[in-house]
Amino acid sequence: MSCSPFDLKDYFLEELGGAERKEVEAHVQACRSCREELNRLRLTGTTLLSLREEEIPRRIAFVSDPVFEPSLWRRWWMGFWNTPARLGFGSAALLSVALVFFAVTRPAPVQPVRLVQAPAAPAMPAPLALSAAMEARIDQAADRAVATRTQQLVAEVAAERQRLLMAATEVEFANKRQHAFYMSAADYGPPRPAVEAK
Amino acid sequence: MIFRAVEDGDLIRQAARGNVEAFNLLVSRWEKRVYNYLLRLTANREDALDLTQDVFLKAYQNLRKLDDGARFAPWLYRIAHNEAYSMFRKRRPESDVADMPPTATETGITVGGNSVFPIELSLAVAGALERLSPEQREAVILKIYQGFKFEEMAEILSCPVSTIKSRLYTALELLKTELAPIEA
Repeated sequence: MSCSPFDLKDYFLEELGGAERKEVEAHVQACRSCREELNRLRLTGTTLLSLREEEIPRRIAFVSDPVFEPSLWRRWWMGFWNTPARLGFGSAALLSVALVFFAVTRPAPVQPVRLVQAPAAPAMPAPLALSAAMEARIDQAADRAVATRTQQLVAEVAAERQRLLMAATEVEFANKRQHAFYMSAADYGPPRPAVEAK
Repeated sequence: MIFRAVEDGDLIRQAARGNVEAFNLLVSRWEKRVYNYLLRLTANREDALDLTQDVFLKAYQNLRKLDDGARFAPWLYRIAHNEAYSMFRKRRPESDVADMPPTATETGITVGGNSVFPIELSLAVAGALERLSPEQREAVILKIYQGFKFEEMAEILSCPVSTIKSRLYTALELLKTELAPIEA
């Protein structure tokens, strides 16, 4: 039976803290039986470690299954889409495309302008006054049309952006489902904390 | 001192995001230790190799469930322990797993070879380990050969620290008697 302040096996197995280790070491210096016991434990450990480890006969390596591997285009797209500036890229590209498309296919309609007889200015000849009034109305109508069209374009770009974000979410979800499909049903959670004996 | 360019924690994070190459690097760091643990547990090279592959496959599939990368080693060994005992159960379903010693180590433990120790010594160690109960043997393997702390062993084996200590102390007493007898 050991008279050491702490279990010599705990010392040998390196389960004691620094202060406890020092206490044991001081005790072992003075106590012959504990010193012999510790020497036997050390000899046992050294002998056990004479059993050498084997090399693994075949190295283990995993490869991506080609069935689930994304295509070159998809990998490029995912690489592009995973960049932090994707929203900026996406928005700018969409805005450019939308502007070009609508500029080419749907020129902004000019609303019909009803001509109203303007009161004749005494200092101005009649044909000149009429022309100025018409130009003013045309300018107003054009401004209104441009404003309306701009609002429509902004709304469409916002809708497209929302749709793309939804598509990205779906792609991510599909990837997760694919990964889950590939996994087996075994369920290993993180290690549980040890429970002390009753 | 060896410095690793990439720590295990980084590899675990990358592998959890689906980076197979990162996981392969992680495997290369741990496969030998896991294989030797399973070899000493099963006493069969083929079983140990098959189980090692299964262990790493399961680890890859469940890596996202590992919250703390620092707990990777006990988590991995817990999978290894469970896989080994699952195999024992499949082979001898009618028996209690606790009564299933991975018996003869004649094919499982290498003695001599390139070891600096004499072959007789390795044989004596193999024999002494064989005479332990499976639980005691596993405790010795995890502590002496794999270097786990009591708390980590308790996580791997899903039992209290006091049980681990009891098994290990008893095993050490038996091994000490055989391998380091008191000189007359």
